[in-house]
Amino acid sequence: MSTLRQSPLHDQHVSEGAKLTEFGGWEMPLAYPEGTLAEHRACRTGAVMFDVSHLGTVRVAGSDAFERLQQTLSNDLGRITPGRAQYTHLLNADGGVEDDIIVWWLDDTTFDVMPNASNTTRVVEALRGPDVTAERAVLAIQGPTALTMVAQVIPELAGLGRFQVRPFNWNGVAAWAAGTGYTGESGVELAIPSQQAGRVWVALREAGLPPAGLGARDTLRLEAGLPLHGHELGPGITPLEAGLGWVVGWDKEAFIGREALVRERSAGSRRRLAGFAVDGRQPPREGAEILHRATPVGMVTSGNFSPMLEHGIAMGFVEVEPGGEGTSDGSDGDGDWALGQRGRILSARPAARPFVTPGQFAGHSF
Amino acid sequence: MNAPDELRYSEDHEWVRIEGDRARVGITDYAQDALGDVVFVDLPEVGAEVAAGALLGEVESTKSVSEIYAPLSGTVVAVNAVLADQPELLNSNPYGDGWICEIAVAGPDAADGLMDADAYRQLTNP
Repeated sequence: MSTLRQSPLHDQHVSEGAKLTEFGGWEMPLAYPEGTLAEHRACRTGAVMFDVSHLGTVRVAGSDAFERLQQTLSNDLGRITPGRAQYTHLLNADGGVEDDIIVWWLDDTTFDVMPNASNTTRVVEALRGPDVTAERAVLAIQGPTALTMVAQVIPELAGLGRFQVRPFNWNGVAAWAAGTGYTGESGVELAIPSQQAGRVWVALREAGLPPAGLGARDTLRLEAGLPLHGHELGPGITPLEAGLGWVVGWDKEAFIGREALVRERSAGSRRRLAGFAVDGRQPPREGAEILHRATPVGMVTSGNFSPMLEHGIAMGFVEVEPGGEGTSDGSDGDGDWALGQRGRILSARPAARPFVTPGQFAGHSF
Repeated sequence: MNAPDELRYSEDHEWVRIEGDRARVGITDYAQDALGDVVFVDLPEVGAEVAAGALLGEVESTKSVSEIYAPLSGTVVAVNAVLADQPELLNSNPYGDGWICEIAVAGPDAADGLMDADAYRQLTNP
């Protein structure tokens, strides 16, 4: 345990009574005493606050920063401007996703690139920028009332736009805010100097924001149909297979993985990411077989109980037959799809992602 | 963690309460806390013959699946059907409304091979 990194907010989590877990080399909150389901529902109906300091921050700065990022990452920064954030991928030469990343464009020549915790080293090597992860904490305040509640404490953040990035000052704390998140709700992420993060955490807690842990973060992102690296994305999975063609900057002349993706686009993908709703509460799990008319056609990559829909939901890859649109030919009826796990069959049906839409449960009580 | 004095306990974190010729079975406070929020319980069938240590059912939380083992041998004579819609009772009241099933046993000494509360507290908080 001694080798695990801890958040600058570790002491706050311990005093909140959080259960801690290992994630990506970090010891982070899994759940607080209210529990994952309550935290999940609080995010859908109001707002919660996550410590996501385990995400990496790689700073890429200088007159060539824009061009380095354009040549390395898949999305096209030409689609946005300074003061905006963009979701993008670091690909390998085969078009596989080495990491999925949010880039905050701070000012003309400065970018904060935020990889997944376990992939930070990979991204540092690819971008040759300094790893400034230890210098800051990152808070993610998420939910339909997130921005309103943050603005009660930090008034200058009122009106922060979706994917907008801006600096702010709060009681002598100079920090950055972005209208980003990973729950399928609107929200704000704050990057705060490590030494001062505790003060901001306490002020937001006192304003009434409950904390939420990685357990709820995972069930929320699953309901939102968002991919998690190591599950729906990975070095052997391309963005096209994952249904993320919009993350590819096709207009750019060169970036890592471009040739492979161009080939895949013209030949068609071998598999596609699909969503499934299970009849009943039993959670489908990673590794469950996807069955179409009793034939295995794929594998579940993430699954769980949906706290809002109160039945099982899953995402997984389904093989696509050559030249075909997919296994489903439009004639599917009830009983054609199922998930098999641990010797049992869970009856299921294809379901559109996101499973839950932003604001769908705003203000509801449970 | 709470472990009531009047119950017996297995090493797999089930509790047993002997009431006449029946043994009521559930999972302990320690087990529910380790599992986290329970979202699904796979109950045994009424009438099933179970041997001590054999698989009795499964409890699933948002983070994991955990098997429940029969703490003693006998016939399942009742299951807590309420858990189908309210599995969270395992978290909120593991020794009460969150019971899992009842097993018909030979007599009041059926649970003698199990731990008493002191021994179980030692196991979970050494």
